[in-house]
Formats: sequence, structure tokens, C-alpha cells
Amino acid sequence: MTAPLLSIRDLVVNFHGQGAPRTLIDHVSVDLAEGEILGLVGESGSGKSLLCRAVMGLLPSRRLMIDGGLVALWGRDLVKASPADMLAVRGREIGMIFQNPTSHLDPVMKIGDQIAEGIRFHQGASAREAREAAVEILRQVGFPDPARQYDNYPHEFSGGMRQRAMIAAALSCRPKILIADEPTTALDVTIQAQILELLLDLRERLGLSVILITHDLGIVAQTCDRIAVMRDGKLVEQGPKRQVLRAPKHDYTRMLIGSHPSLPAGNIAKPCNVGPAVRQKERPLLEIDDLHVRFDTGGSLFRPGRKTVSAVKGVSLQVMPGDAIGIVGESGSGKSTLARAILGLVPLSSGHIAFDGVDIAQQPRKALAKLRRETAMVFQDPLNALNPRLTVGETLGEVLKIHGTPVAEIPGRINELLDLVHLGREFAGRKPRSMSGGQCQRVGIARALAVNPRLIIADECVAALDVTIQKQIVDLFAELKARMNLTLLFIAHDLAIVRNLCERVLVMYHGEIVEEGLSADIFARPQRPYTAALIDAVPDIDPDKKLLAPKTDVEPAAA
Amino acid sequence: MHRYKFVLYRPLQFLPVLFGISIITFVLVRLIPGDPARVLLGTRATPTAIARIREQYGLDEPLWLQYFYFIQNLGRGEMGKSILYKIDVLRLIATRIEPTLMLVITSVVLSILIALPMSAIAARRQGRLPDQAVRVVSTMGIGFPPFWLALMLIIFFSVKLDLFPVSGYGNTLPEKLWHLALPSLTVALSLSAVVTRSLRAAMIHSLRSDVATAARARGMPESIVFWRHVLPNSLVPTINLLAVNIGWLIGGTVIVESVFALPGMGQLLVRAIFSRDYMVVQGVAMVFACATVLINFLADIITVTVDPRVKL
Repeated sequence: MTAPLLSIRDLVVNFHGQGAPRTLIDHVSVDLAEGEILGLVGESGSGKSLLCRAVMGLLPSRRLMIDGGLVALWGRDLVKASPADMLAVRGREIGMIFQNPTSHLDPVMKIGDQIAEGIRFHQGASAREAREAAVEILRQVGFPDPARQYDNYPHEFSGGMRQRAMIAAALSCRPKILIADEPTTALDVTIQAQILELLLDLRERLGLSVILITHDLGIVAQTCDRIAVMRDGKLVEQGPKRQVLRAPKHDYTRMLIGSHPSLPAGNIAKPCNVGPAVRQKERPLLEIDDLHVRFDTGGSLFRPGRKTVSAVKGVSLQVMPGDAIGIVGESGSGKSTLARAILGLVPLSSGHIAFDGVDIAQQPRKALAKLRRETAMVFQDPLNALNPRLTVGETLGEVLKIHGTPVAEIPGRINELLDLVHLGREFAGRKPRSMSGGQCQRVGIARALAVNPRLIIADECVAALDVTIQKQIVDLFAELKARMNLTLLFIAHDLAIVRNLCERVLVMYHGEIVEEGLSADIFARPQRPYTAALIDAVPDIDPDKKLLAPKTDVEPAAA
Repeated sequence: MHRYKFVLYRPLQFLPVLFGISIITFVLVRLIPGDPARVLLGTRATPTAIARIREQYGLDEPLWLQYFYFIQNLGRGEMGKSILYKIDVLRLIATRIEPTLMLVITSVVLSILIALPMSAIAARRQGRLPDQAVRVVSTMGIGFPPFWLALMLIIFFSVKLDLFPVSGYGNTLPEKLWHLALPSLTVALSLSAVVTRSLRAAMIHSLRSDVATAARARGMPESIVFWRHVLPNSLVPTINLLAVNIGWLIGGTVIVESVFALPGMGQLLVRAIFSRDYMVVQGVAMVFACATVLINFLADIITVTVDPRVKL
């Protein structure tokens, strides 16, 4: 191997608050070779983003300070570089892209101007030259009509195109190193695959070296050459991708690999219920018949000509008691609208929903009362779904009280619920702010269980969590399902999770169910090309199961 | 350009708004206790003389008929005759509108000139001495009543330093601006305080935003980050605040014009109220209301221009 392009040695970052400084990055040493993709893996709070901010000289607070070590770029120590020197390093030698392109692009500036800005500043180009260069970069990152799209604003693009624009802005001055901080976490799997493909392609064409921060080992396995695993500010393990994935040395790495949802097919949830012959005698708990939900958009008093958008088009579904059904699809596929329709939160345009034999459209008051007593929802963002002013005990107590639990029994029930979701009883006195995302989501589940629901709808309830936490929550659902005979509608864009938890799967696309069946069948033999594409887009943890069509060999040229 | 379509149809919505304003001002003015004819003729007027004046100005008609005449006159571009000045109210207002308009424009320009650098300095040095100073000054600006501030400015700049005139209005533009210096400074000191607080908070938020981080990661120096990203993103909430405050300011000119003896609409309004000059009070109130509506319309146009996401 040649000398590393970027070399981080014994880097220490401390937080200087009141009292003794707290160490957030603890003597981390890692190298990035030329043309290499380094995967930086770890949970949120492990310091992987902070490490890259430190390299860029962009620590988010004045109280964070680099207290030791060096960052060598072509033999120059960036830690000691002056602010003026760092301006030249950022954008020109190291580019950076972020998790959320929507919040990182300037909403009031044309997308092309945000790219041209750097070219003008760093290369002293004229306005016209910069525009031409920016149009060329937009073309390279996959904008179909860059000359025209230069003048569009970020909100006029989809999430995937926004991430492409971010990449274009980061690469506008031809940096040699790209730091990508969770670049695909906010995107759908199919879009994620496209963005990863673009990164690999750009690496080839521009000779980039990439540090890819992610919590998804599947992405690492598919794209990176080497892996560095971080935990609590320390680098616990690093090495070539295959070596780390096959023979992890550290317990934590083993746990990360173990939590990855795309593991062998042995995990697939089996239909734990009785066979279909017996089940047909039961009455379905939830029956949906040719459901349509349409929204009016645009138009006003003075401007007729409103448009109708169909979010759900002709969905039919039967849910038996004890079923666990996964609903998968990309954003915009109508899966959340379907869930909201089931709970009576959006008006139905046509079709029927019957819960336990009561039709929502025909007997709305009775059905809604019944629904709200006997169903519960678990939300995507666990922290924002909890009232920050209430303690966990108060949150649960409130639900119990509304549902008529005698006051004397409430404390006991709260303890039971906390036991069920494996939270210590002392959590009753804590507030959401002082809890982690996984703990908040456990409270969210406990709150759902408080009503003794016959149906739980979980809308993307693990999407915001780290993989290890995801696995714990999914395991919790599986356990509760077995113990309490819960009926579960599990909405997710992550197919692997659905496969491990649900025996039946519905695939939604543009408001329609395009495929449905047993999880095992669908994942093994998808009938529709869309389902197949969705499954193929999931990055597998096995580096030999290629994510992308074998168009180019993604292995780096021998160094 | 379809985002600007509202410029065409929004004025249609003004019609019901103005109709409502006209009813309210008309009725409210007539709720003021006192009789304009009696005020005009003095305490020793005979009942027949008062009746004649009332008949002459249509004050003996039923209320709804008076309103009907009022609207009819509006259609002809008239607002009725002032009892005190004996000319049509609209023509009267036309002679008085210029000083007020000039006062509002100079105050707004001045307060933006004060607020922009103050909030920029404060936001970029948050928590440090310049920031603390700006916060103290802007709290004081909000706290001091304008009439007191006006007197202090007169004492200092006019009486002690003899830099600006104490009162009145000039004939040529430089003369006018010279006379307006202290009145507009009075208004600007309060207005800029409100704007500074809002703008400072918005800028601090933007400086920490992902947009700023991304720009810094592209190697943009802090000055570009600030002027090209932070400032435009901070303006949107401030534009609406400014619009609301300009509406309030137009009513507030009454005090400032009185203190500085500016021959504007505020002064006209004060005299009209004391002499129960109904027609003038309702005319001025109408003009103030229209101006407020217009300014908010203007603010909407600016908002749409600054923020490409906004659709109206």
C-alpha cells in the first residue's frame, strides 16, 4: 500500500464544559489511502461524525477542542493549520456531504448557484465560467437537464436529487477526499442504491478517496474497502472489509454484525398461527375492501382547476387476529395514508373499512369509538411522539385513566407495562429528554400496549433508530406478539426488518398493492419486477452478494 | 412566474376588507360624544343655527343614509367636506399626506440601516460584549416611550448642539430631510429595536443551521456564509414583523408629528378629533387602514421574491 493520503493519529477531542473536560474522541488513529473507501461504522453518539468534523476543522461548538494528536493531509498537519489555510482545505481538498440534504441545501438559493459559489471563491472563476463548470458537475452527478435545472431551487427536487446536488456542491472544486456522513440514511432503499452507485462511479472517474460514515453494515459491505468501527469515542477495530466482516475481533463488532437484519433466511418469521383451514372460520379483525383515499390539492376561491391526488387506490386487505402483516413501499407509496385511513384519521373517498365487523363509513361514531379503544399506534419519531413535559409514568397513567382503569390499579399497571417492554420500573419517574431513542420507543410501545389493543399499527417505528436498537425493538415486538397474541400492522421501508418480524407482506407502489403473500415466498420468489428491485436494493452484509448490477467491478485497482 | 399570480387577484380581496373598514370607521367616529355643529359654532350658538349647520352637512339624516352618501361620495373620489377647513377631505388629505409619507419612508429606511448592522454584529458575536450591548440598547429602544425620546433628541441635537431644527417642515427636498432627521430618528430608534431583536434571533438560528455548516464545509469564508446564506434565510420572518410594525407606525406618527409640529396626517387627525370633524377623522382613518393593507400586500410580494418556497 502507498503512503496514506489522510492520516489521523491519536486524535483527542474534549468537551470543555463545567468541571473536568469530557473526552469525546479518545486517541483515534486511522488512515485513508488514495482511491480507498473507508467505512466508519458505529451507533449514534459513537463519535464518528465528530471525528470527521474535527478533520474538517468544523467542530460544532466552541467548547469542543482538539486536545491532542494530528491530522496529516499530504504531510501537512490540519490541526495546526490556520483558519485561512483550512478555508482552502475545505471544499478544495476535502469535500463533505451530509445525511439530510434538505436541511443542508440553502432553500432560498438556486441549486446551481450553491455549486458555482465554491468554484468562484476557490478558483476565482468568472460568473459565466463558474456556471458552465457547475452545469457540467450537475451532469456528472446525474441531473438529466443540468442547464435548465441549474436555476431550480432545492424544494423543487426529490430527496435523491437533492443528495445528488449536495454531492455536486461538495465536489465542485475537485477535492481529492470526500467525507460522506450518513449520505443515504434519509433515503428510500432504491434511491439509496442509486446514490451509492453514484459514489462508486465518481470514485472511479475522479479518483476520489471516500470516508463513508454509516450505521448500516450492509452499505459498508457493498461499497467500502476497509472498515473502522467506533464506539464511545474509541476506535475498537479496523481492517479490510472482508476480514472484519468474516472474523470480527471485538465483541462490539460481533454484536453489530449480529444485529444486521439481512442475516440468513433462517430468521424468517414463520406463520406462528394455526393453519389456514382453521383460520377461515374466524372473523377477520380488520377488513378493507377496495379502499380509495384521494386528496385535493391546489385551487382556491379565485383559481378553480384543483387537482386530485390518489394516495390509496383500491386496496383490499383482511387481517386475522394474531396476524403480523408488513406493509412495505417507498415514500409516497401510500403506506402511511393507508394506516391513517384505518385509524379514521383521513376521510375515505370510497370503499369500506370494517374493524371487528363495524364499518367506519356506515357507523362512524361507533366504529371510531371502538377503534380508539382497541387499536394503538407506535410512531416513527419516538422522542417527538412523547409529551416532553410528562414523565413516563404520567404518560402511561394518562392513557390508562382515559381508558377507565381504576385509579388504585394504575401504578401497578404502569409497572407491568414497563416490565413488558423491558424497562426498569424507575423509568416511571423519568422524562423523555433524559432517555435514549430506543428507550423512548419502548415507552411508545408501552403506551400502545396500555389500552390492551387488539391491533397495533407501527408506522416506520424503527426507521430513526440505530441497527442494534432496531434489532432490540423488533425482538421486543416478536416477543410481545408471541406472548399476547397481538395483531400487528408493521409499516416500514426496510424489507429486511419486515421479513424477520411479519409472516405476511404487502408491497405497495403508487397507492396500490402490487404484491402480497407470505414473507418467505415473496423474498425468495418476488413475482413483480418492482418487488424484485426493492429487494435487490437492500445492501447485503455479504460483500459477495452484489448490491448493484455487475456493470463494473467495484473492487479498487491494486494499489 | 405563476407564483406572482396573487398580485393580480389579491386586490379583489381588498374590496370586502375596505368595505368592512369603512363601516367600522364610520360608526366609531359617530360614537365619539359631542356635536360637530356645536363645536364649530361655539357655546353660544342658537339652536336654529346649529340645526342649519347640521342640515348643511347632512348630520340630521338617519345613520344609514349618511353612510350611503359617504360611499356614494367615495365613488366620485370625494370624502365629504371638512367642517373645519371647508374643503373636501380627500383634497385636504392630499395636502397633508406628503410629510407623513416621507416620515414613514425615512424612518423605515433608517431603522433598517440601524437594525441590520446591529443584529449582524450581535449574532456573529453571540454572548460577547457587542452582543450584550446591542441587547441592552434594543431593550431600551423598546422601553422608552417615543414622546420622551423625541424631547430628549430635541434637547440634545437641537438645543445643545444646534444641529437640527426643533420643529416644522421645509420646502425643498434637502430642507425636508433636514427637518425629518430627528422625527424619523425617534421612530427608528423604537422600530429598529423590535426588528433587531427578531433579526438577531433569526440570524443566530441560521448561523447554527445545517445550511451554514454545509457552506463552511465547502470552504466558504465566514463572510460569504453570513451574507449569502444566513442573511437571506433570516429575512423572511423579519419582513412580516416589519410590515406589521409599519402598520402600527403609521398610527404612531400622530405623536411624533405633534411633538415636532410636522404638518402631516397625524397632526390633522388630532385636530379633527378635537373639533369633532367627522369627515376628516373617517377619511384619515380610511387612508391609514388602506395603507396598512397595502403594506402587508407589499410584504407578501417581497416574501415571495426572497423565499422561492412560498406560494400565495
